[in-house]
Amino acid sequence: MNIIEVKDLQKSYPRPENKKETFNAVDGISFNIQAKEIYGILGPNGAGKTTTLEMLEGLKDINSGTAMINGIDVKKHPYRVKKIIGVQLQANEYFDKLDLSELLILFGKLYSEEIDCMDLLKKVGLSDKLKAKPKQLSGGQKQRFSIACALVNNPKILFLDEPTTGLDPQAKRNLWKLVKELNHLGMTIVLTTHNMEEAEYLCDRIAIMDGGKIIAEDTPQELINKYAPEPSDLPLQGNIEDVFLTLTGHKLRD
Amino acid sequence: MITSLQLHLSKVFLKIFLRDIQSMIFNIFFPLAFIAAFMFSGSGSESINIGVIDNASNISSKNFTDLIKDDPLFEVTQGTEINLKEQLLSGEQLAIIVVPKSFDYTEGTNELKLLLDASQVRQINQIRTAIENSLLSVERKLSNTEPMFSLKVEDFKARPQRYVDFLLPGLLAFMLMNLSLGGSGFNIVEYRRRGILKRLFVTPIEPKDFITSIVLARMMIVVIQLSAVLGFAILLLGVRIEGSLFSLYGMIMMSTFIFLCLGFCFGSLAKTQEAIRPLVTSFTFPQLILSGVFFPISSLPDMIQPIAQFLPLSVVVNGLRSIALDGISLFTLDSSMFGVIIWAILSFFLATKYFVWKEVAG
Repeated sequence: MNIIEVKDLQKSYPRPENKKETFNAVDGISFNIQAKEIYGILGPNGAGKTTTLEMLEGLKDINSGTAMINGIDVKKHPYRVKKIIGVQLQANEYFDKLDLSELLILFGKLYSEEIDCMDLLKKVGLSDKLKAKPKQLSGGQKQRFSIACALVNNPKILFLDEPTTGLDPQAKRNLWKLVKELNHLGMTIVLTTHNMEEAEYLCDRIAIMDGGKIIAEDTPQELINKYAPEPSDLPLQGNIEDVFLTLTGHKLRD
Repeated sequence: MITSLQLHLSKVFLKIFLRDIQSMIFNIFFPLAFIAAFMFSGSGSESINIGVIDNASNISSKNFTDLIKDDPLFEVTQGTEINLKEQLLSGEQLAIIVVPKSFDYTEGTNELKLLLDASQVRQINQIRTAIENSLLSVERKLSNTEPMFSLKVEDFKARPQRYVDFLLPGLLAFMLMNLSLGGSGFNIVEYRRRGILKRLFVTPIEPKDFITSIVLARMMIVVIQLSAVLGFAILLLGVRIEGSLFSLYGMIMMSTFIFLCLGFCFGSLAKTQEAIRPLVTSFTFPQLILSGVFFPISSLPDMIQPIAQFLPLSVVVNGLRSIALDGISLFTLDSSMFGVIIWAILSFFLATKYFVWKEVAG
């Protein structure tokens, strides 16, 4: 069953260098995501990953095309969609003067939910930080707290925008474990990343985006079979990073 | 009506603002220090220091000098020419009256010399008039003639009014303007820059909930801070509020609402923290001078007065002053209340029109 159905989604912005012209940050993409799937959107900087997510989250207006989430049209009923999704954004700053429990209660209120702070913090491994301020958290702890905030409404779908960017390997592995656990509990997870290992390890299916378009979409294994160049000697097989570079080229992005 | 979500959010914002102890203290420090500076300046007019050089040293000159000394307007020092001239230069004396050697008031007109330092004295004409008036009354006393007229000054509103009474409403208005602009515009820009607004707007919160709760929380903060200053002025300076506290606080809330709305406009106009500072300063600074905070608008050049009258801070200062000094009620629809209502409607309209949510969220 498809929980997310996206068809010809498009978003254009004025060009930074010439405001009269526009360019398509997201250029008519279509994809479906099944319930309980972990779906990764992979792409270089400026590929349109975040813009795609933000349109699905109701943060950005959709120029054309449709996006249905759990059968609800995002364009028509953004507030109904917001109620059933959980979102972790790239920037994860919060009001400095509130501690974690106060922030979680605040987010709960925004969904009219009474929440159990301790239970949520336990889920993300921060049970000893109930009275800590966000500033006192490390990078990995901050990301895990962001996920705790995204879970206050017990969402059907969790959107994670580059969840492991800037984390050390331990924190990264720890977060992957958390994502897998949430998925096992039945949550559909949509994440963006430019970490190949992450996409390969976590995702059931991957869409590779570049220049606002989806240029390939499949399971990690199929993508490797299709696009990774046959290595002449060991290791016998390429990995997703090879797939990525083959498809998007080696040119440096901003 | 206010929903439970808005109430909860207001409480959260209030908590956030109250925990910012540093800004709470700094915000009331300046007005308190300013008012305290007026604690020691009394309501009585200050006397003018003048020196008298008596070159005649006869009975005539002694009588004359004694009568001048009796005038409460002057603080008279008698001395030698060298001494007094030094004091004049150092600013201790404002003027020196030189009594000539040949001084004798029983014989014709006597010419007195008035020495002053023109570079230090701005109001030469006023001093001259004051001294001339004083000489006239001395003359009457010496020649035993009754004055034809006497002038008794009486405040037609029949209450003592000191500068601090005049200043307090202006200062409160200026304070609430700064607090409100800082509390809406600056906050919005800061929350947007840090991505906090974006995070809030992926939840089902509606813009009106967010705005309402910030407005409510900020009003509380402004009321708390203004009450501290007001309490200080009433208890320690004996400032009297003629109107009811209900009217005064009603006026404060309405005025806070105006500047909060304008602050939201600035917050959506200015995209960065660097841009909002000059934008807000260019709005507040001219008003500090033009809106009658420190001196009445009527003392401004005629050309500027009609414009100055309509500035938002002017109508607020007027409104607060008419409640505090004249005891007008909030429900009296005079020109200042009318001005406040117009600005409240205008600023609310501007805020809802120019506050673009998707952009504000970044």
